[in-house]
Amino acid sequence: MCLKEGNTMGEWLFEMTERLRGTQLVEFSLWVTDWPFAIWLQSHFLAIPGFQTLHILAIAVLFSSVLMLNMRIWGFTGKDQGIEAAYRRFVPWSWWAAAFLIATGVVLLISEPVRNMVNAIFWIKMSFLVIAITASLVFQRAVRVQMRAGAAALEATGALKVGAVVLTLLWCAVIMGGRWIAYAPV
Amino acid sequence: MANPTIWENVQNSSLGLGIAESEWWFPTIETVHVIALVTVVGVIAAMDLRLLGLTSRGKSVVAMERDTVPLVWGAFVLALVTGTLLFVSKAATYMANPFFLWKMGLMALAGVNMAIFHRVLSQGVDEWGQPGHAIPMAAKVSGVVSLVLWMLIPLCGRIVGFTLGVYYS
Repeated sequence: MCLKEGNTMGEWLFEMTERLRGTQLVEFSLWVTDWPFAIWLQSHFLAIPGFQTLHILAIAVLFSSVLMLNMRIWGFTGKDQGIEAAYRRFVPWSWWAAAFLIATGVVLLISEPVRNMVNAIFWIKMSFLVIAITASLVFQRAVRVQMRAGAAALEATGALKVGAVVLTLLWCAVIMGGRWIAYAPV
Repeated sequence: MANPTIWENVQNSSLGLGIAESEWWFPTIETVHVIALVTVVGVIAAMDLRLLGLTSRGKSVVAMERDTVPLVWGAFVLALVTGTLLFVSKAATYMANPFFLWKMGLMALAGVNMAIFHRVLSQGVDEWGQPGHAIPMAAKVSGVVSLVLWMLIPLCGRIVGFTLGVYYS
């Protein structure tokens, strides 16, 4: 049924998760499982889907803010104003959304500690998250430099356009990791 | 089964079985569905917040619509196609789930709300939609209704994932 690559990938993920089973993460995640808050989350039917929804709404704000700025950088939308207007509108929202995303993510981590922490895909997702946040900081700095360039602020450079695409793909990878946590080969 | 329902037939189609039986088709389609739906919800929210006069105040409502509507429709079509594929793989189970039916109903309401805005409430938007102008109460109500509906729709979607075993048909 599975493609050959699928199997190799699955085996690799399985092996990575096996290695995680040999670390202190197992004891740590089992300890978190017994926290009163963890027990509360597990025993209330709406708690986990509720926090997952808040998490998804935060992704919606973050991802659409990234898209709206990137669409302006490519010149597809928002041509009635300079890049600066799109930057001021969407960048603060993307950071507030990221903060809310991490807060709801921590709650979800506590709700199912073993399923998350002893799971190779979770750590792949976290790696992509760190890369996406670092890339965002570098990218936004480059956009600010461009904004200060006066007349050029209406038109983005080729490098910024490439950066916009890379950043969008990085956030897609983070989202993909989040969805695949539930399907990890264990 | 003597008399399978239409949904059981859909679920047992080669497409439905193919998605349900593959280890990676369902999560892959689901991933694309999530990327599409966060775009729909987030970009609609940016438009709604402009209608409420909370953000993008330096931009006219018409310019905001021009920036958001094509992206929303593109992402919505993607969410619809991927959502239909996910539905086909478990059609009978989803049709038996009240949260799935609520989700469909709320999406229909969101569509009606949007149609009312475009057909009726956006009259004179060239005037009142200018930066600094007061937004009519009816347009603001439409924005709030849209925001609330698009928060409830993913909630229903998430609950469906947790209640598949409860309402099994």
